[in-house]
Amino acid sequence: MQSIDDPVKDGPAPETYAPGSEVDFDRLYRNTYRRILGTLITLVRDRATAEDCAQETYERAFRKWKEWRPEASAEAWLHRIAINVAISDRRHQQLRQAGELVRRLGRPAPGPDPAMVAERSDLIKAMKRLPTRQAAALVLRHYHGYSNREIAAALGIPEQTVASRLAAARRQLQAVLGH
Amino acid sequence: MSDLERELESELHRVLDPVTAMSTIPPRRAPARRSAVRALLGGAGAALSLKLLTGVAAAAAAVTVAGAATTGSINPADWGQQVSQHVSDCKKALADGQHGIGDCVSSFASQHGQVVASDARHHGQGSGNGDENTKGNGSSGGHGGNSNANDHARDKTKDPSTTGEREPTDPPIQTTVNVPPQR
Repeated sequence: MQSIDDPVKDGPAPETYAPGSEVDFDRLYRNTYRRILGTLITLVRDRATAEDCAQETYERAFRKWKEWRPEASAEAWLHRIAINVAISDRRHQQLRQAGELVRRLGRPAPGPDPAMVAERSDLIKAMKRLPTRQAAALVLRHYHGYSNREIAAALGIPEQTVASRLAAARRQLQAVLGH
Repeated sequence: MSDLERELESELHRVLDPVTAMSTIPPRRAPARRSAVRALLGGAGAALSLKLLTGVAAAAAAVTVAGAATTGSINPADWGQQVSQHVSDCKKALADGQHGIGDCVSSFASQHGQVVASDARHHGQGSGNGDENTKGNGSSGGHGGNSNANDHARDKTKDPSTTGEREPTDPPIQTTVNVPPQR
Protein backbone atom coordinates (compact mmCIF):
# COMPACT_ATOMS: atom_id res chain seq x y z
CA MET A 1 0.00 0.00 0.00
CA GLN A 2 1.37 3.34 -0.91
CA SER A 3 0.53 6.80 0.10
CA ILE A 4 0.27 8.98 -2.95
CA ASP A 5 0.31 12.69 -3.48
CA ASP A 6 2.93 13.12 -0.83
CA PRO A 7 3.69 16.82 -0.64
CA VAL A 8 7.32 16.26 0.28
CA LYS A 9 8.62 17.47 -3.02
CA ASP A 10 12.26 18.13 -2.30
CA GLY A 11 12.99 14.93 -0.46
CA PRO A 12 13.42 11.41 -1.64
CA ALA A 13 10.74 9.39 -3.36
CA PRO A 14 7.47 9.31 -1.50
CA GLU A 15 7.43 6.79 1.27
CA THR A 16 4.89 4.04 1.34
CA TYR A 17 3.07 3.07 4.47
CA ALA A 18 0.75 0.25 5.38
CA PRO A 19 -2.17 1.28 7.57
CA GLY A 20 -2.07 -0.37 10.95
CA SER A 21 1.59 -1.31 10.72
CA GLU A 22 3.40 -0.09 13.81
CA VAL A 23 6.75 -0.36 12.06
CA ASP A 24 5.47 1.83 9.26
CA PHE A 25 4.03 4.27 11.74
CA ASP A 26 7.39 4.59 13.44
CA ARG A 27 8.91 5.30 10.05
CA LEU A 28 6.23 7.86 9.33
CA TYR A 29 7.04 9.46 12.65
CA ARG A 30 10.71 9.75 11.84
CA ASN A 31 10.03 11.07 8.36
CA THR A 32 7.49 13.71 9.28
CA TYR A 33 8.17 14.75 12.86
CA ARG A 34 10.25 17.81 12.01
CA ARG A 35 7.78 19.22 9.55
CA ILE A 36 4.83 18.65 11.82
CA LEU A 37 6.77 20.31 14.63
CA GLY A 38 7.58 23.22 12.32
CA THR A 39 3.92 23.74 11.58
CA LEU A 40 2.99 23.57 15.23
CA ILE A 41 5.63 26.08 16.26
CA THR A 42 3.83 28.71 14.21
CA LEU A 43 0.46 27.81 15.70
CA VAL A 44 1.00 27.42 19.42
CA ARG A 45 2.59 29.46 22.16
CA ASP A 46 6.15 28.18 22.24
CA ARG A 47 8.49 25.40 21.25
CA ALA A 48 7.83 23.24 24.28
CA THR A 49 4.10 23.42 23.68
CA ALA A 50 4.69 22.61 20.02
CA GLU A 51 6.64 19.51 21.00
CA ASP A 52 3.86 18.42 23.33
CA CYS A 53 1.33 19.01 20.60
CA ALA A 54 3.45 17.04 18.14
CA GLN A 55 3.47 14.07 20.45
CA GLU A 56 -0.26 14.42 20.96
CA THR A 57 -0.64 14.52 17.19
CA TYR A 58 1.16 11.21 16.76
CA GLU A 59 -0.76 9.65 19.62
CA ARG A 60 -4.03 10.57 17.98
CA ALA A 61 -2.75 9.45 14.61
CA PHE A 62 -1.62 6.12 15.98
CA ARG A 63 -5.06 5.47 17.39
CA LYS A 64 -6.50 6.04 13.93
CA TRP A 65 -3.64 4.48 12.01
CA LYS A 66 -5.63 1.46 10.93
CA GLU A 67 -8.27 3.73 9.46
CA TRP A 68 -5.89 5.87 7.44
CA ARG A 69 -6.47 5.53 3.72
CA PRO A 70 -3.27 5.23 1.65
CA GLU A 71 -4.90 7.19 -1.15
CA ALA A 72 -4.31 10.33 0.85
CA SER A 73 -0.99 11.83 1.82
CA ALA A 74 0.08 10.59 5.21
CA GLU A 75 1.78 13.86 5.99
CA ALA A 76 -1.27 15.87 5.00
CA TRP A 77 -3.33 13.62 7.23
CA LEU A 78 -0.93 14.27 10.08
CA HIS A 79 -1.10 17.99 9.44
CA ARG A 80 -4.85 17.87 9.71
CA ILE A 81 -4.57 16.15 13.08
CA ALA A 82 -1.85 18.56 14.21
CA ILE A 83 -3.99 21.58 13.38
CA ASN A 84 -6.84 20.16 15.41
CA VAL A 85 -4.45 19.53 18.30
CA ALA A 86 -3.24 23.13 18.03
CA ILE A 87 -6.81 24.40 18.09
CA SER A 88 -7.48 22.38 21.23
CA ASP A 89 -4.29 23.64 22.80
CA ARG A 90 -5.21 27.26 22.09
CA ARG A 91 -8.52 26.79 23.80
CA HIS A 92 -6.87 25.27 26.83
CA GLN A 93 -4.22 27.95 26.72
CA GLN A 94 -6.86 30.62 27.11
CA LEU A 95 -8.09 28.88 30.23
CA ARG A 96 -4.55 28.50 31.55
CA GLN A 97 -3.82 32.17 30.91
CA ALA A 98 -6.87 33.17 32.87
CA GLY A 99 -5.70 31.03 35.78
CA GLU A 100 -2.15 32.36 35.57
CA LEU A 101 -3.43 35.91 35.50
CA VAL A 102 -5.29 35.32 38.72
CA ARG A 103 -2.26 33.71 40.34
CA ARG A 104 0.11 36.47 39.22
CA LEU A 105 -1.99 39.34 40.48
CA GLY A 106 0.28 41.64 42.42
CA ARG A 107 3.46 39.84 41.37
CA PRO A 108 6.06 41.07 38.88
CA ALA A 109 5.83 39.49 35.45
CA PRO A 110 8.53 36.92 34.65
CA GLY A 111 11.24 37.85 32.17
CA PRO A 112 11.33 36.54 28.60
CA ASP A 113 12.60 33.03 27.97
CA PRO A 114 15.93 33.49 26.15
CA ALA A 115 15.46 30.24 24.29
CA MET A 116 12.30 31.55 22.71
CA VAL A 117 13.46 34.99 21.69
CA ALA A 118 14.91 33.83 18.38
CA GLU A 119 11.58 32.41 17.34
CA ARG A 120 9.61 35.47 18.20
CA SER A 121 9.82 37.51 15.10
CA ASP A 122 7.08 40.02 14.59
CA LEU A 123 5.65 37.99 11.76
CA ILE A 124 5.57 34.77 13.73
CA LYS A 125 4.01 36.55 16.65
CA ALA A 126 1.41 38.02 14.33
CA MET A 127 0.73 34.55 12.93
CA LYS A 128 0.16 33.18 16.39
CA ARG A 129 -2.59 35.73 16.83
CA LEU A 130 -4.38 34.61 13.70
CA PRO A 131 -7.16 32.06 13.90
CA THR A 132 -5.45 28.69 13.98
CA ARG A 133 -6.90 27.50 10.69
CA GLN A 134 -5.81 30.65 8.90
CA ALA A 135 -2.30 30.43 10.30
CA ALA A 136 -2.14 26.75 9.37
CA ALA A 137 -3.13 27.55 5.81
CA LEU A 138 -0.32 30.10 5.61
CA VAL A 139 2.27 27.64 6.89
CA LEU A 140 1.13 24.85 4.64
CA ARG A 141 1.11 27.18 1.65
CA HIS A 142 4.17 29.33 2.22
CA TYR A 143 6.47 27.03 4.10
CA HIS A 144 5.59 23.46 3.21
CA GLY A 145 4.69 24.38 -0.33
CA TYR A 146 1.28 22.77 -0.48
CA SER A 147 -0.99 23.93 -3.25
CA ASN A 148 -4.44 25.18 -2.37
CA ARG A 149 -5.84 21.90 -3.62
CA GLU A 150 -3.51 19.91 -1.40
CA ILE A 151 -4.39 22.06 1.59
CA ALA A 152 -8.04 21.54 0.85
CA ALA A 153 -7.53 17.79 0.69
CA ALA A 154 -5.47 17.77 3.85
CA LEU A 155 -7.96 19.76 5.86
CA GLY A 156 -11.07 18.30 4.30
CA ILE A 157 -12.42 21.65 3.17
CA PRO A 158 -13.29 23.17 -0.22
CA GLU A 159 -10.48 24.75 -2.16
CA GLN A 160 -12.34 28.06 -2.13
CA THR A 161 -12.32 28.00 1.63
CA VAL A 162 -8.57 27.60 1.56
CA ALA A 163 -8.26 30.60 -0.72
CA SER A 164 -10.51 32.72 1.48
CA ARG A 165 -8.61 31.69 4.60
CA LEU A 166 -5.32 32.59 2.99
CA ALA A 167 -6.67 35.93 1.83
CA ALA A 168 -8.07 36.75 5.23
CA ALA A 169 -4.82 35.76 6.92
CA ARG A 170 -2.78 37.92 4.58
CA ARG A 171 -5.07 40.89 5.10
CA GLN A 172 -4.76 40.57 8.84
CA LEU A 173 -1.00 40.23 8.68
CA GLN A 174 -0.77 43.27 6.46
CA ALA A 175 -2.82 45.25 8.92
CA VAL A 176 -0.70 44.13 11.86
CA LEU A 177 2.68 44.47 10.17
CA GLY A 178 1.86 47.64 8.28
CA HIS A 179 2.59 46.37 4.80
CA MET B 1 4.13 37.00 -5.36
CA SER B 2 3.57 39.97 -3.13
CA ASP B 3 6.08 41.42 -0.73
CA LEU B 4 4.12 40.02 2.12
CA GLU B 5 4.22 36.53 0.70
CA ARG B 6 7.94 36.76 0.08
CA GLU B 7 8.50 37.98 3.59
CA LEU B 8 6.27 35.23 4.88
CA GLU B 9 8.25 32.54 3.17
CA SER B 10 11.57 34.07 4.14
CA GLU B 11 10.62 34.47 7.76
CA LEU B 12 9.07 31.04 8.02
CA HIS B 13 12.19 29.47 6.61
CA ARG B 14 14.39 31.51 8.90
CA VAL B 15 12.48 30.34 11.94
CA LEU B 16 11.50 26.85 10.96
CA ASP B 17 14.45 25.60 8.96
CA PRO B 18 16.58 25.16 12.08
CA VAL B 19 13.72 23.13 13.52
CA THR B 20 13.30 20.89 10.52
CA ALA B 21 17.05 20.47 10.21
CA MET B 22 17.57 19.37 13.75
CA SER B 23 19.44 16.12 14.01
CA THR B 24 17.66 14.45 16.86
CA ILE B 25 14.09 13.37 16.92
CA PRO B 26 12.70 12.61 20.33
CA PRO B 27 11.36 9.11 20.85
CA ARG B 28 7.72 8.78 20.10
CA ARG B 29 5.64 9.02 23.22
CA ALA B 30 4.06 5.74 24.11
CA PRO B 31 0.39 6.06 23.33
CA ALA B 32 -1.56 6.43 26.51
CA ARG B 33 -4.34 3.99 26.95
CA ARG B 34 -7.26 6.01 25.89
CA SER B 35 -9.61 3.95 27.93
CA ALA B 36 -7.59 4.64 31.03
CA VAL B 37 -7.49 8.35 30.36
CA ARG B 38 -11.13 8.39 29.53
CA ALA B 39 -11.88 6.36 32.59
CA LEU B 40 -9.94 8.83 34.70
CA LEU B 41 -11.70 11.80 33.19
CA GLY B 42 -14.97 10.01 33.19
CA GLY B 43 -14.36 8.91 36.72
CA ALA B 44 -13.68 12.43 37.83
CA GLY B 45 -16.69 13.65 35.96
CA ALA B 46 -18.76 10.83 37.25
CA ALA B 47 -17.59 11.47 40.77
CA LEU B 48 -18.47 15.12 40.47
CA SER B 49 -21.86 14.28 39.04
CA LEU B 50 -22.39 11.75 41.78
CA LYS B 51 -21.50 14.32 44.41
CA LEU B 52 -23.83 16.83 42.88
CA LEU B 53 -26.64 14.34 42.66
CA THR B 54 -25.98 13.16 46.19
CA GLY B 55 -26.05 16.75 47.39
CA VAL B 56 -29.31 17.40 45.63
CA ALA B 57 -30.79 14.21 46.97
CA ALA B 58 -29.59 14.97 50.47
CA ALA B 59 -30.97 18.50 50.26
CA ALA B 60 -34.28 17.19 49.02
CA ALA B 61 -34.36 14.61 51.79
CA ALA B 62 -33.48 17.25 54.37
CA VAL B 63 -36.26 19.50 53.14
CA THR B 64 -38.66 16.60 53.21
CA VAL B 65 -37.69 15.53 56.71
CA ALA B 66 -37.68 19.10 57.94
CA GLY B 67 -41.07 19.60 56.44
CA ALA B 68 -42.33 16.42 57.94
CA ALA B 69 -40.81 17.38 61.25
CA THR B 70 -42.30 20.82 61.24
CA THR B 71 -45.70 19.89 60.03
CA GLY B 72 -45.90 16.31 61.05
CA SER B 73 -46.53 15.26 57.53
CA ILE B 74 -45.02 15.31 54.09
CA ASN B 75 -48.24 16.89 53.04
CA PRO B 76 -48.64 19.37 55.87
CA ALA B 77 -51.93 20.90 54.90
CA ASP B 78 -53.86 17.68 54.58
CA TRP B 79 -52.16 15.92 57.39
CA GLY B 80 -52.46 18.82 59.80
CA GLN B 81 -56.15 19.15 59.21
CA GLN B 82 -56.70 15.46 59.62
CA VAL B 83 -54.77 15.27 62.82
CA SER B 84 -56.31 18.40 64.20
CA GLN B 85 -59.70 16.92 63.64
CA HIS B 86 -58.63 13.66 65.14
CA VAL B 87 -57.17 15.36 68.21
CA SER B 88 -60.47 17.09 68.77
CA ASP B 89 -62.20 13.76 68.54
CA CYS B 90 -59.78 12.27 70.98
CA LYS B 91 -60.34 15.10 73.43
CA LYS B 92 -64.03 14.55 73.24
CA ALA B 93 -63.42 10.95 74.01
CA LEU B 94 -61.68 11.96 77.24
CA ALA B 95 -65.01 12.76 78.73
CA ASP B 96 -65.65 9.10 78.85
CA GLY B 97 -63.02 8.74 81.50
CA GLN B 98 -59.95 8.07 79.47
CA HIS B 99 -56.61 9.46 80.54
CA GLY B 100 -54.89 11.50 77.88
CA ILE B 101 -55.11 11.39 74.16
CA GLY B 102 -51.65 10.09 73.38
CA ASP B 103 -52.68 6.59 72.49
CA CYS B 104 -55.62 7.88 70.57
CA VAL B 105 -53.53 10.21 68.45
CA SER B 106 -50.72 7.75 68.12
CA SER B 107 -52.98 5.15 66.67
CA PHE B 108 -54.02 7.65 64.07
CA ALA B 109 -50.47 8.73 63.43
CA SER B 110 -49.40 5.19 62.81
CA GLN B 111 -51.71 5.16 59.86
CA HIS B 112 -49.59 7.83 58.26
CA GLY B 113 -46.77 5.42 57.95
CA GLN B 114 -43.81 4.31 59.93
CA VAL B 115 -41.36 6.17 57.73
CA VAL B 116 -42.41 9.69 58.55
CA ALA B 117 -42.94 8.86 62.17
CA SER B 118 -39.55 7.24 62.40
CA ASP B 119 -37.82 10.19 60.74
CA ALA B 120 -39.50 12.58 63.07
CA ARG B 121 -38.41 10.58 66.11
CA HIS B 122 -34.87 10.25 64.86
CA HIS B 123 -34.59 13.96 64.39
CA GLY B 124 -36.19 14.73 67.69
CA GLN B 125 -38.92 16.52 65.88
CA GLY B 126 -41.68 15.19 67.99
CA SER B 127 -40.84 17.13 71.11
CA GLY B 128 -40.28 20.32 69.14
CA ASN B 129 -43.56 20.02 67.44
CA GLY B 130 -45.30 19.22 70.55
CA ASP B 131 -43.94 22.28 72.29
CA GLU B 132 -44.83 24.48 69.40
CA ASN B 133 -48.15 23.01 68.49
CA THR B 134 -49.61 21.57 71.58
CA LYS B 135 -52.54 23.81 71.26
CA GLY B 136 -53.09 23.16 67.60
CA ASN B 137 -51.92 19.96 66.24
CA GLY B 138 -51.21 17.32 68.67
CA SER B 139 -50.47 15.52 65.49
CA SER B 140 -46.83 16.13 65.98
CA GLY B 141 -47.18 14.65 69.40
CA GLY B 142 -48.59 11.61 67.79
CA HIS B 143 -45.44 11.30 65.81
CA GLY B 144 -42.84 12.30 68.27
CA GLY B 145 -44.15 10.90 71.48
CA ASN B 146 -42.81 13.60 73.75
CA SER B 147 -44.97 16.35 72.41
CA ASN B 148 -47.80 13.97 72.38
CA ALA B 149 -47.15 13.53 76.02
CA ASN B 150 -47.09 17.28 76.50
CA ASP B 151 -50.44 17.50 74.91
CA HIS B 152 -51.42 14.65 77.04
CA ALA B 153 -50.25 16.47 80.10
CA ARG B 154 -52.19 19.54 79.23
CA ASP B 155 -55.25 17.49 78.61
CA LYS B 156 -54.83 15.90 81.94
CA THR B 157 -55.13 19.27 83.57
CA LYS B 158 -58.71 19.26 82.55
CA ASP B 159 -59.16 16.80 85.32
CA PRO B 160 -57.02 17.74 88.33
CA SER B 161 -57.38 14.31 89.71
CA THR B 162 -55.25 12.97 86.90
CA THR B 163 -52.40 15.42 87.38
CA GLY B 164 -49.27 13.61 88.28
CA GLU B 165 -50.51 10.39 86.96
CA ARG B 166 -48.33 8.72 84.50
CA GLU B 167 -49.28 6.37 81.82
CA PRO B 168 -47.02 3.42 81.42
CA THR B 169 -45.87 4.44 77.97
CA ASP B 170 -45.09 8.03 78.80
CA PRO B 171 -41.50 9.10 79.29
CA PRO B 172 -40.50 10.29 82.74
CA ILE B 173 -40.44 13.95 81.76
CA GLN B 174 -44.18 13.98 81.64
CA THR B 175 -44.42 13.60 85.35
CA THR B 176 -42.53 16.84 85.92
CA VAL B 177 -44.67 19.00 83.70
CA ASN B 178 -46.65 21.36 85.82
CA VAL B 179 -49.18 23.12 83.71
CA PRO B 180 -51.87 25.20 85.37
CA PRO B 181 -55.39 24.12 84.67
CA GLN B 182 -56.89 25.62 81.59
CA ARG B 183 -60.28 26.02 82.95
